[in-house]
Amino acid sequence: MGVTHVSDTALSTPREAPPGPARPRPPGRHSAWTRRRDRRGFWFIAPFLLAFTLFTIVPLLYAVYESLFTTRIIGGTVFSGFGNYSTVLTSGPFWGGFGRVVVFGAIQIPVMLIIAFFFATVFDLGVARFGRVFRTIFFIPFAVPVVVAALMWGFLLEPTYGPITHLANAFGFTGTNFLSSGLLLPAIILIAIWEWTGYNSIILYTALKSVPRTMVEAAILDGAPLRKIVLRIKLPMVRPAIVMLIFLNSIGALQLFVEPEILSYQGGSITNTWTPVVDVYNTSIANAQYNLGAAMAVVLALVIIVISVGSMVFRRRRGELS
Amino acid sequence: MTAGVAAVETRRERRRRERQAEQDATIPVHLYGLRRGTITLITAACVLFAIFTLVPVAWIVINSTKSQTGIFTSFSFWFARPFEFFHNFSLLFQNVDGNGTYLQWFGNTVLYAAVGGGGATVLAGLAGYGFARYRFRGSRVYFYIIVGALLVPVAAITLPLYLVYAKAHLINSPWGMILPSLVSPVGVYLMRTYIDLSVPRELIDAARIDGAGEVRIFFKVALPLMVPGLMTVLLISVVAVWNNYFLPLIIFSKNTLYPLTVGIGVWSQVAERSGGNSDLYPLVVMGGLVTIVPMIALFLILQRYWRGGMLLGSIAN
Repeated sequence: MGVTHVSDTALSTPREAPPGPARPRPPGRHSAWTRRRDRRGFWFIAPFLLAFTLFTIVPLLYAVYESLFTTRIIGGTVFSGFGNYSTVLTSGPFWGGFGRVVVFGAIQIPVMLIIAFFFATVFDLGVARFGRVFRTIFFIPFAVPVVVAALMWGFLLEPTYGPITHLANAFGFTGTNFLSSGLLLPAIILIAIWEWTGYNSIILYTALKSVPRTMVEAAILDGAPLRKIVLRIKLPMVRPAIVMLIFLNSIGALQLFVEPEILSYQGGSITNTWTPVVDVYNTSIANAQYNLGAAMAVVLALVIIVISVGSMVFRRRRGELS
Repeated sequence: MTAGVAAVETRRERRRRERQAEQDATIPVHLYGLRRGTITLITAACVLFAIFTLVPVAWIVINSTKSQTGIFTSFSFWFARPFEFFHNFSLLFQNVDGNGTYLQWFGNTVLYAAVGGGGATVLAGLAGYGFARYRFRGSRVYFYIIVGALLVPVAAITLPLYLVYAKAHLINSPWGMILPSLVSPVGVYLMRTYIDLSVPRELIDAARIDGAGEVRIFFKVALPLMVPGLMTVLLISVVAVWNNYFLPLIIFSKNTLYPLTVGIGVWSQVAERSGGNSDLYPLVVMGGLVTIVPMIALFLILQRYWRGGMLLGSIAN
């Protein structure tokens, strides 16, 4: 597609006259002159489009291509059609990992968004002392790379020396091991809440700031209590922002990788298939089964796309989207 | 000297002005008819969450001053003898046990983040302008495809990149890290929306009537108005490269090319495997500290652009 456009634009010298696209445009708005000039807009997106094609589209297509082959020690690489896909789709561990990230998201995202909305409201209303200071502090974790965040929490939760483990022991929970298979998921939920609450809170804060002041003032004059102002006026107004955050956080949750991987270096008990991306990594890099790994990655992409498009269609049907 | 003083004063003035503006925009709290204890209670909740936020940061600052034995045996939230901060810091300049040099990783990360993040911002700025202010055949389709790319998991792009790199000899090349970092669909989306809101069409049309070319209009008219949006995208892109772990983990096998994330990860892995015999833990802690300090500093410096960065919030509305 890009190629047609390049030649298209190259040909659009002043000599080339009106006939242009077959579809008629609204009269007056798009003269031949405007159209020719508008075509030049393509050159602004061309550099991005080139990088995007080379480093997103091509790799993605290549992943699909690779996923259709199988490499055997004897016999080399052979076309296997959907063979890898049936392996992935019937793989219990892959879907087990998938279930784990769904549980992770189903707990982490609501808890985080409730806390984030609470503090966003507090900052927006100005009902806490030193609001600006707290706003800055809460945003700090966003500047901490996830690798370092996982490492710091790994030290704090370490089963023998970790201060939080000591604390748990002091409260009578002796022998607590936060990095054991039973407690690792809650531990990672805690880390993710630490990492992202401030960022989500700042986004909600900005959204709240754009709620018209007059609406709130009218409610105050009507004698509405603060709880009602927040839940009945502010919350519905920032609903689109919340929906977008749920969406972005869900896509991130399904790709959980860094926290379990780093914690596994520190003694966290994760399996090779703990999350889908951990599975992709171990299958393709550690076990060198690239084709199978590619099929997994494509399945993960398809699941995310189906969920997103599905929820969009659902919301549009309910009239929430135009 | 005088210039410096003047700059400080204007900054202080600006801050005061901003604070005043924020106060004016906020409805006075007493109008909500809150009970007396409520504000104290809410402030207490803020304090609790601030403690939760600062605990790991405090831990890493305190433990960067300890020896390996100190990290594991002394009380975690207070200093202990011997004071090893400078010793630990000096280790960042050495290739400890042949696992790689922190300083080199730091340099690599700065290079990847500056070239990758900076380049991503330039491309996103140009593309955002193209999408916001021109209508050409296929522009909507291109835009939808780019936004749709947000749905594609990183692994689905990174893994095939690795396979392509293996053939194109880009394994163990800095370009293997930098080039994919130039693509920021979020950046394009943010810039398009930002330009839609802040670069008036009338201004561009007026410049056209004056006979300015499209490129000249971009640089002289649009670009100055795009700066806050560009700063946001720069911040987001630099953070994305600085935090990237999956791509460098896969494509680099030489530790001289690692960014900080991969390097520190390897140290922690080696430290754990050696069962505490390698003396690498103080390095992991100090390395973590030196990784986050520049980022926190950058965020505090660019604090006033958060408002632009909060762009994301207003767009979501």
